[in-house]
Amino acid sequence: MACMNLVALSLLAVFNAEQASRILESLERNLLTPIPLCFVLGIICTRIHGGIKIPKELYYSIAIFLLMSIGFMGGHELAHEYEAHGLSTIWKPALATLFLGCLTPISSYLVLRYVGGLSIADSAGIAAHYGSTSAVTYAVANSFVEQTQHPANSFLPTLVTILECPGIAIALVIGAALSARERAAKAAASGRPAKESKLGEALYEVITGQSIMLMAGLLAIGFVSTMFMDPKGFQPFYEFFQSKGMLFRGVLCIFLLEMGLVAGEKLGDLVKVGPFLVAFGILMPLAHGFLAAYLGHLAGLNLGGCTVFAAIVSSASYIAAPPAVRLTLPEANPTLSITAALAITFPFNIAFGIPIYYEMAKWVGAQ
Amino acid sequence: MQLYPLKLVTVVGESVIMEDIAEEGVRLGATGYTMTEVNGHGSRSARNVASTTGARTMKVEFVVPGDVAVAILTHISHQYFDDYAVIAWLSDVQVVRGQQYVK
Repeated sequence: MACMNLVALSLLAVFNAEQASRILESLERNLLTPIPLCFVLGIICTRIHGGIKIPKELYYSIAIFLLMSIGFMGGHELAHEYEAHGLSTIWKPALATLFLGCLTPISSYLVLRYVGGLSIADSAGIAAHYGSTSAVTYAVANSFVEQTQHPANSFLPTLVTILECPGIAIALVIGAALSARERAAKAAASGRPAKESKLGEALYEVITGQSIMLMAGLLAIGFVSTMFMDPKGFQPFYEFFQSKGMLFRGVLCIFLLEMGLVAGEKLGDLVKVGPFLVAFGILMPLAHGFLAAYLGHLAGLNLGGCTVFAAIVSSASYIAAPPAVRLTLPEANPTLSITAALAITFPFNIAFGIPIYYEMAKWVGAQ
Repeated sequence: MQLYPLKLVTVVGESVIMEDIAEEGVRLGATGYTMTEVNGHGSRSARNVASTTGARTMKVEFVVPGDVAVAILTHISHQYFDDYAVIAWLSDVQVVRGQQYVK
């Protein structure tokens, strides 16, 4: 309750009373639903050393199902969109996505390096996480807008796929280029040859990693099968994968429970990362989210679409980015990036961010 | 039964580099390796960054002649010790069919 009052006060400082009360209403509508509540249960359980344990294999299986489902439904809806409007409605949002995918790692890097004073490797490492996206945040945001009866444009999963790669690539290239000089100097000082760079290998692993292969692959499969398959034969696949279905929503709850358990563990690291990174993990997504809602609106996305678009642009990757950063920028401290992405931005987006993006989307005029 | 004196190089570290280490060991003269997932805690457990990121701890073992063992340990210590959570050690072993482990 104290937390809600704090949110209410800070909202009043930025918005007028009517807007603030609308945002609070959206917050309540979002928070008191099973998906965020499962996340909260996970956090509480870890903090009180409770006994919930989600088997690793189940977690990985659910991740595969969610990625396949997002891709498949994206491909299916994309086929309908393509049949109805051709490429005319899709190219502008795709371009906006590409633009934001390139902008967010750079803006994150600049803020971390020059406002936060972090090292080159740490700044680039965290920027790689924030440049990419979190498919689960997409799934939760999509469930939220479906609950508010403003479903997002059908091609949003395509945008998630587009957003996955460029952010990580740009941040890693910045980090690798700028820290190469430091590394060469260190190697010369120690008299040993410089270490091999693993940038190429890391980028290859991001592009061919599970997230992209499953989402892009199933997107193609969903698209082709919708175009060429008999609708009756297609129906069982649709029912299995559909994001409004009970299977998707149910496993999302289990997934969020595990995320809560992990985030609960990482909460202890908040002290280590310091107040700057906590503020960064909240304010940067809000800034990126607002920009995304605005550009999404300009590109023709509807209200639900702008909300989900803002959520995916503002979210930080915690599956594809960490190993890539670890390989390319080994001197970056993984505790900083993982804590920021998983223990700050992810919970913030799930609980507060998504309803705020919804109000931002309304505010910029999306319908 | 004839036993051959060889060296066992054991490397334990974060999963992100272990496949590379295994391949590099083969490049440096090992004829093969065994990799297993393990659990544990060490002075640099920073890599234990939660199961959601896919980070795990792996162990790679090579049975090799002494010179190859030294080459592998030197390479690992130079390439990985500064930045990654990884440890490596050497043991003497007596191996059946020892000729299989010499290139």
